[in-house]
Amino acid sequence: MEKAEIIVSTSPHIKSRETVPRIMLSVIITLLPAVAFSVYLFGIYVLFMYLVSIATCLVSEYIVVKLRKRPFTLNDFSAVVTGILLVMVLPPKFPMYGVVIGAFIAIVVGKQIFGGIGYNIFNPALIGRAFLAAAYPVHITSWIAPRIGSISAVTGATPLAAMKFSGVETSLKALFLGTVGGSVGETSALLLLIGSIYLFIKRYIKWQIPVSIFVTVFVLGEIFHLINPVKYPGPIFHLLSGGLMIGALYMATDMVTSPLTGKGCVIFGAGIGFLVVIIRLFGGLPEGVMYSILFMNAFVPLINRVTRPRIFGTEAAHAK
Amino acid sequence: MADDRRRSAYELLKGFWTENPILVMVLGMCPTLAVTTSAINGLTMGLAVVFVLTASSVIISLVRNIIPKEVRIPTFIVIIATFVTMVDLFLKAFFLDLSKALGPFIPLIVVNCIILGRAEAFASKNNVWLSFLDALGVSLGFTVTLIFLGGVREILGMRTFFGMKVLGKGFEPMIIMLLPPGAFLTLGFMLGAKNLIDRKLKEKRGGKVGH
Amino acid sequence: MQNRAKMIIILTLFALVSGLVLSVVYLFSNPFIQKNMLAEQKKAIFAVVPNANSYEEKEKNGLKYFECKDSSGNVVGYALPAKGNGYQGEIKLMIGLSPDLKTITGLEVLEQVETPGLGGRISEESFLNQFKGIKDEPQVEYVKNKKPEKPNQIKAITGATISSRSVVAIINKFIKQFKGE
Repeated sequence: MEKAEIIVSTSPHIKSRETVPRIMLSVIITLLPAVAFSVYLFGIYVLFMYLVSIATCLVSEYIVVKLRKRPFTLNDFSAVVTGILLVMVLPPKFPMYGVVIGAFIAIVVGKQIFGGIGYNIFNPALIGRAFLAAAYPVHITSWIAPRIGSISAVTGATPLAAMKFSGVETSLKALFLGTVGGSVGETSALLLLIGSIYLFIKRYIKWQIPVSIFVTVFVLGEIFHLINPVKYPGPIFHLLSGGLMIGALYMATDMVTSPLTGKGCVIFGAGIGFLVVIIRLFGGLPEGVMYSILFMNAFVPLINRVTRPRIFGTEAAHAK
Repeated sequence: MADDRRRSAYELLKGFWTENPILVMVLGMCPTLAVTTSAINGLTMGLAVVFVLTASSVIISLVRNIIPKEVRIPTFIVIIATFVTMVDLFLKAFFLDLSKALGPFIPLIVVNCIILGRAEAFASKNNVWLSFLDALGVSLGFTVTLIFLGGVREILGMRTFFGMKVLGKGFEPMIIMLLPPGAFLTLGFMLGAKNLIDRKLKEKRGGKVGH
Repeated sequence: MQNRAKMIIILTLFALVSGLVLSVVYLFSNPFIQKNMLAEQKKAIFAVVPNANSYEEKEKNGLKYFECKDSSGNVVGYALPAKGNGYQGEIKLMIGLSPDLKTITGLEVLEQVETPGLGGRISEESFLNQFKGIKDEPQVEYVKNKKPEKPNQIKAITGATISSRSVVAIINKFIKQFKGE
């Protein structure tokens, strides 16, 4: 008998045309409107922040990959995405050395220490920002007024800070368009939404995550607003202000650090939404999107375990 | 005789690198992470441990043959606690500022795993001289590591080293280094660096890489 | 049976020796510790009440305070120990008050565990000196990122609003109770 030539390989057996560089490039392109607007809104310095951040991310990635003697992953654009997202959640006029340190931490501590792309537990850009928030607490809360639109307080406080510390509410239209103070790329809800539509259509991001975040924030925001309309802002304000849009659309949806199943994504998003409202209303800080996402990132493995789908063909009773 | 001397040298020196209590055994993490906001805090904590560990190791080694093995742990703890209380009172009487900076972590030396670990693993089984060397080596290794950890955090967090300015105005101090995350990050990088150096040394000697 | 007796005897023996040694050490170090504590208290009191030469511990409205006199025996002010919650833990203060209780003459931080380099800066001279000579009526207030305008205002530390706010809140609470309001 002759032996049959059969090649045995593990799944997946069907290869998609979707590759990491392709997805990352799409993310970058959809971010461009918001990026361009942020440069217009806060000035040319912001453009340099983007360039420095991207360059630092690429260099850090290159160094670590070289040291670890791993295959080259520089051309998959993931470091570029991290670099852009990091700047988008930093205050404009953040010192340049801070940008460099943040980008370095994002790539080295946030991503490469865990084993590189696909292995990181936390969103790298947010790790970078969390480090900077703890390292330079004064700079991370120093805002400047945008070039267009009005600003509510003397020092250029963000709409959330104005709400929390002075009880001043910013108009919803300004929040929607983005002509308000805040982190570089988080201000315009409109442009972020437009950009992410493409990602939704291509299913690069799981729609369950942003939708469950929005629903949770809306419902909780409405409940507290009904309890005390003077003290707590309305639900739409919650949705449009601060880093909620960019967090829900671009950070929480990071493929690596979000749950695998749709059901898991709903739990994940609801958790983020819940924490955001709690931190914003009762915490010491005016904004809590970053910590909420990082916190829920840590729960992703657990969520994946709980929501593991039943293997086809096995008994339903065993799944329990 | 030569063998004896080599053994003594080994027991004294192992604490600095090959059996470093922090970098290899990863013991005594509570004071390691909590008090090392500056080099001087690391030094004080380290010296307190040097005193407690050497004194208790010597005493335990001396009395090791008369202690029934059923009650050896309580006896060790009584001995250790005595010396810790002495250090605590001494610091309060003569170095009030340092005592305040270290807070409850001086009394907590009683439950530091390094001390009981050395008592149980070494002093209760070896003679006084070797126990003394072992305790001295391990505690000095602990001290050096704490000073390094505290030094790095102090330099990056306050621009000073033992209170002296070492970095200029151009460097913005990173508050995070003085906070708990700074301790974890620095310690993590130190552990990584130690493993990296060990591996490079092994490669140089032509040994196989791996654990 | 014999073994158990041995265990008890040995352990008791060690405890006895340990107790003995510690009593000796305690007797030796206690005077120094007491002296340190008194010196600290004295330093803080004299720092917050200028011209004070001697002080006497008294109690009023359930609060311990120190009545300070100058060299000729006139009351020059009061030093009021106060404490309360900060950002991370308890803050202990010594507040200096003028004899008419309307002006704060000085402030010292006795203990605090705020974030070093941030909230920890409440122990710095630049923050504490602001309190010298401010009015405590109707109550002490803080402003952010601008110069204080009224005689009862101080400037909060940038980036450490919570710690600054805590200090002000503790001062207000204790002065109020001290005045018996």
